[in-house]
Amino acid sequence: MAPDASLPLLLGLAWLLPLASFALIVLVGPKMGKAGVLAAYVATGAILTSFVLSVIAFGIWHFGHLGYDRKTAETHVVAAAEDAHGSGEHAAGESEHAGADSHAAHGVPTAPPRVFTKDWYTLAQFGALKLSISYYIDSLTVLMFTMVSLIATLIHFYSFGYMHEELHEVVDHEVTLADGHHLHRRGRFYRFFQYLSLFCFSMLGLVIAGNVLMVFVFWELVGICSYFLIGFYIERKSAQNAANKAFIVNRVGDFGMIIGMMALWASLGTFAFGDIDGQQGIFSSVRPSANESQVTVPDGMVKFAATEHVAAGVEATPAQISTWRSEGYGYWLLVIAGVGIFCGCVGKSAQFPLHVWLPDAMEGPTPVSALVHSATMVAAGVYLAGRFYPVFAPEALLVIAYVGAITLLLAATIAITAVDIKRVLAYSTVSQLGYMMLALGVGGWAAGLFHLVTHAFFKSLLFMCSGSVIHAVHTNDMRRMGGLRHKMPWTAYTMLVGVLAIYGAAIPFVVGLSGYYSKDSIIAQALSFWNSNPTHGAFFAAAAIGGAGITAFYMFRLWFMTFAGEPRDHHAYEHAHESPKVMYVPLVILAFFAVTVGFPRLPFSVPKLLEQARYPGEFTAGKLLPDLVYPEEHLSHLPQFHNQAEVVVTFVALGGLVLAIAFYGLRILNPAEVKSQFSAVYRLLWNKWYFDELYDAIFVRPVLLISKLVGNFDRRFIDGFVDGLARWTRAVANFDDVIDRYLVDGSVNVVAAWTYSIADGLRGLQTGKLRQYVMLIVIGTVALTLLIRWSVAAG
Amino acid sequence: MESELLLSLIVFLPALAALVLMLPLFSNQRPDAIRLLSLAATVAVFLLTVWMALDRPAGSDASTRFQVGEASMQDTFARDWIPSFNIYYFMGVDGISFTLVLLTSFVTMLSMGASWNITKHVKAYCILFLLLETGMLGVFLALDFFLFYVFWEVMLLPMYFLIGVWGGPRREYAAIKFFLFTLVGSVLMLIAILMLYFNSDLGRLSRDQLQASRVPNSVVQQVEQGGTEPIHTFNLLALAQMGQLPDSPFDKELWLGHSLQWWAFILLFIGFAIKVPVVPVHTWLPDAHVEAPTPISMILAGILLKMGGYGIIRICYPICPDAGYDLAYVVAGIGVLSMVYGAFAAMSQKDFKRLVAYSSVSHMGYVILGIGVWTAWAGTDYNSDYWSMGMNGAMFQMIAHGISSAGMFFLVGVIYDRVHHRNLDEFGGLFAKMPVYSGLAFGIFFAGLGLPGLCGFIGEVFVTLSVWTYSQALAVISASVVILTAGYILWTLQRVYLGPEYKGPHEDGIYPITPREIAIAAPLLAFAILFGVYPSAVFRYMTPSINKTVGDLATWTKEVKQPRIEAERSSEMELAQKP
Repeated sequence: MAPDASLPLLLGLAWLLPLASFALIVLVGPKMGKAGVLAAYVATGAILTSFVLSVIAFGIWHFGHLGYDRKTAETHVVAAAEDAHGSGEHAAGESEHAGADSHAAHGVPTAPPRVFTKDWYTLAQFGALKLSISYYIDSLTVLMFTMVSLIATLIHFYSFGYMHEELHEVVDHEVTLADGHHLHRRGRFYRFFQYLSLFCFSMLGLVIAGNVLMVFVFWELVGICSYFLIGFYIERKSAQNAANKAFIVNRVGDFGMIIGMMALWASLGTFAFGDIDGQQGIFSSVRPSANESQVTVPDGMVKFAATEHVAAGVEATPAQISTWRSEGYGYWLLVIAGVGIFCGCVGKSAQFPLHVWLPDAMEGPTPVSALVHSATMVAAGVYLAGRFYPVFAPEALLVIAYVGAITLLLAATIAITAVDIKRVLAYSTVSQLGYMMLALGVGGWAAGLFHLVTHAFFKSLLFMCSGSVIHAVHTNDMRRMGGLRHKMPWTAYTMLVGVLAIYGAAIPFVVGLSGYYSKDSIIAQALSFWNSNPTHGAFFAAAAIGGAGITAFYMFRLWFMTFAGEPRDHHAYEHAHESPKVMYVPLVILAFFAVTVGFPRLPFSVPKLLEQARYPGEFTAGKLLPDLVYPEEHLSHLPQFHNQAEVVVTFVALGGLVLAIAFYGLRILNPAEVKSQFSAVYRLLWNKWYFDELYDAIFVRPVLLISKLVGNFDRRFIDGFVDGLARWTRAVANFDDVIDRYLVDGSVNVVAAWTYSIADGLRGLQTGKLRQYVMLIVIGTVALTLLIRWSVAAG
Repeated sequence: MESELLLSLIVFLPALAALVLMLPLFSNQRPDAIRLLSLAATVAVFLLTVWMALDRPAGSDASTRFQVGEASMQDTFARDWIPSFNIYYFMGVDGISFTLVLLTSFVTMLSMGASWNITKHVKAYCILFLLLETGMLGVFLALDFFLFYVFWEVMLLPMYFLIGVWGGPRREYAAIKFFLFTLVGSVLMLIAILMLYFNSDLGRLSRDQLQASRVPNSVVQQVEQGGTEPIHTFNLLALAQMGQLPDSPFDKELWLGHSLQWWAFILLFIGFAIKVPVVPVHTWLPDAHVEAPTPISMILAGILLKMGGYGIIRICYPICPDAGYDLAYVVAGIGVLSMVYGAFAAMSQKDFKRLVAYSSVSHMGYVILGIGVWTAWAGTDYNSDYWSMGMNGAMFQMIAHGISSAGMFFLVGVIYDRVHHRNLDEFGGLFAKMPVYSGLAFGIFFAGLGLPGLCGFIGEVFVTLSVWTYSQALAVISASVVILTAGYILWTLQRVYLGPEYKGPHEDGIYPITPREIAIAAPLLAFAILFGVYPSAVFRYMTPSINKTVGDLATWTKEVKQPRIEAERSSEMELAQKP
């Protein structure tokens, strides 16, 4: 089968299998064996099969040389990357550098990357506007599929052990009922795997998505899975709140994302990334090959913005369009689209200022933290920023860089003081995601995504190790741990591997763990950016380098507090035990990948794969910020940046390590003293820079207040008005009644009464005596005659 | 089957069943017989509509089944009713009304199933219920404005009694409020109807237009013979043709410098907007919902609200396009206001049903917004696709809201039947006590939240995406509602379903959901999922007709309105140039 048929089939199956597992567990989960134990087998089987399918797809990609047939210049890039990172050959130096230099002069990929993209099916079509479910498969997709399904499979296995308590009745010690007892409830083993399956489906859907709307669909779905998994212990108030917070904060990001989507949709009329069936996609509109794939404001945006120039109904000519484009029309739409989509990434990847949900999300079971809240879902923001990279205008990239740099420092500082083992890791995750965003923002596309992959392995490893510890000692508080390496060596030393990986341990210029390669390429790119942009670059470079030092400090602090020294809580220590095999074997496998995944010399190394997906084209200078210049990423392999980065980082990280050893390893220095000396700083960090309090004051409370006001307005004013109207009507009616009764009826009655009384008076005349009547007639006649006579005489 | 027979059967079968129920044979001593007969009638109507929806078998093109892909009216027929006023018993169906008819027959059937708990005056309840169904179906199928009005009023009275007799403690207040609000709307509508009628003249239309409007042949001949007297009409299709004429008879100035159609639009819009309802004429809705019994709430939210949106799409815009164009910003703005206001109001509610009612206000705001985004141009290109998308999204949102809100009200009813209160602060822990119920509730509430994969998402996102071309400010505000919606729905779910234990009274009364209740909630959830992942199931019926409506109006904008605007502009410029 040709790859254009086999890849979508394989990855499509890999994507849908977890959905089938989810559906099955939803329908018959509780009946699947005792407490639904079979559900775990179903879910694990599904994701394992997905992994196998992904590996096959990976094989087809690699051995089919699908990504290798782009311009030959590209292989030089890879070679340069390798050499820069590489082993002893590096010293052979000069000629290599010359090669890199000449390479910088001309050789970047000019053709778009090899991509398979097509519609699977159409959701709806209105005229030329089409919304569909489609796929976009390039080497990045294949890489992400393999990475996600591998980690997910390992975590499924790990969860067999971690969640086994849910197989029988559970006593939740964190929930106290009204009668003072702890909560007893039935186990929900199957439900955990049900959510995991749904998550895997959603995450893989996000990766394979071929258009922005589909990304948004799965974006929301991973969000809701995260909601369910964070709130897995639905009885715990803290878990419920954390779940709500995660979803709602993400929706704030989605608000921006929708704006970005609207800007794209209204001006381009398509959401597709690539060109499908001759229909131009977003990428080729913004990076037209006619313009050497440079960032170009698409015609649609120019026309959308320049409406003022033509009366509606007058078509714009191509000449007009290019004039308007050069005048800058539509550029702001491109920036809004980029920044808007990035807002979604800010929410999902827990970047400043929406980083507040991720630490709270640690309320979920630890396998969830490892899978959803470190390796995959939170990295989806970085993935999307990377996927969407061709569309970012330089100004949008600058926003990304600032957000990333601020996040990086902010989260790292908070991690220094946290004592909850999972929260340290959570802040570390936020900080590392900041690294990735920073990398993307300073032009290091491959560097950022490279770090995404390496981080996924070592951070999930770290989380799973912490889960193993929590499983053993039943607490998250590192102040009650210590010395655990004697009790649980597998966990302790695999975790040390993870710590070394995130530290970026290496023999400089020779070989290192995965984090070494990815972090170095980020810092080199930051330096390269600084070189071209003195104003902004200094901060980014400082953040990247300083962050490495802080990372080293808090990660080793964590390891020392947990595993080294003397046990601080003997009760917990005595009950501690190594986790079962089903839990630590995945740790070992992950540790293996944490060491090796960054290795650049493999034939299918991550950087090589990423280079195959790189979109061609240089950045032009920004239109709004003309000074902003983006250096080509491969320039960062030049020794002036690369070596510098390596040397500086080695020392800075070493500094962090030494401090950590001094405080927590050898305990030469006493952290309590530092704490009291810098108590203001300590309180600031301990309270997480007071972001929760700030947001509560400026967002949550005002919203609740407004909602109260609106509710009252409804009752008091609108209903008050309506009811008042009704009361008025009734009052008028009553008034009417009074008038009716007393005036109208009264006058009628008065007339009637008069008539009656007159008649009554006259009744006396009616005697029935004939003689009397005759006499009255006579008198009357005479009187009348006299009256007439008299009146005639008078007239 | 003849179209006449088919459509008449769909509309009047419930009324017929109501007549049968009036026989002394049925007494309140045997309530189940009454309920079963009523259910049978609603099921029969549902099956008839489903039969119509099935694709016609190949080769039988004379069938009366709904023809997918056909944009204009199908199965039309007209009979003399009150000839001296040109009033006909004139019905027909197109994609816009057909989907709503399907929704009506479906939701009515389910809410009849939900009526088993009604034990008071079962016979009277069922009779009124069936009359209500006749009224609702008639509104959607009538093509004669007078007939439409009659059905509109027919629907009102049963509703009044159903709330006023079978409702909660403040039922009389709620029923009267509902009645008066709707009556105000009806009166305004009646004025507009008469205004349009007495200014209409079939003589202005060409033969093709008359035939496209399904005017009976005798009248066409009468028109062609000519005459000095104008021939008035209540034919909705013909009125729309007249409204879109370049020299429309409705363009003459009426009052305060505004044309007749401007005033007619205002009157009709207020009438329909009360029904939708939009802020600020929405306050009848929370009261009516809170007091109405569960099945009536389902109908109220699921169907009655849709009549407002239907009226705007079918009547306001096509007949009064000039006013519609000028007032489009007002309409869209009201939509956005309702979305935001409804969401904020929902957040502050303590009563479960009130909260769902306000969520309806918010969700129906999307409908008004989607209808309102009058864009015949995207940038400098003539392109009505975005408006078409908004209108389709609005119609889809009506269907989706019909499913999800009926489901939400039903689910509130299920728990109310057990614990007899609706105070949101006194629930909690239901997930452990009623797992299946809670699972269904999460599904349906998430449909309301607009989660992808469920029906609410499609409508909301399509509407929102279509707004930017019309107005960026409205687009941004409407996008922000996703945050508020997530806020109040998740907070509600947390208070009701999560947590370790139930906090309110009547804890002993809580028992798991019954099969009958599952049979009502599960189909709703199933459709919520189906429409969420396969929206074409709905679009295939409605899109051609909506696109035709939008296309006609966009063409009108291009050919009639735009020259008018330019003429005004140039005359203003001339005025400005004069000293």
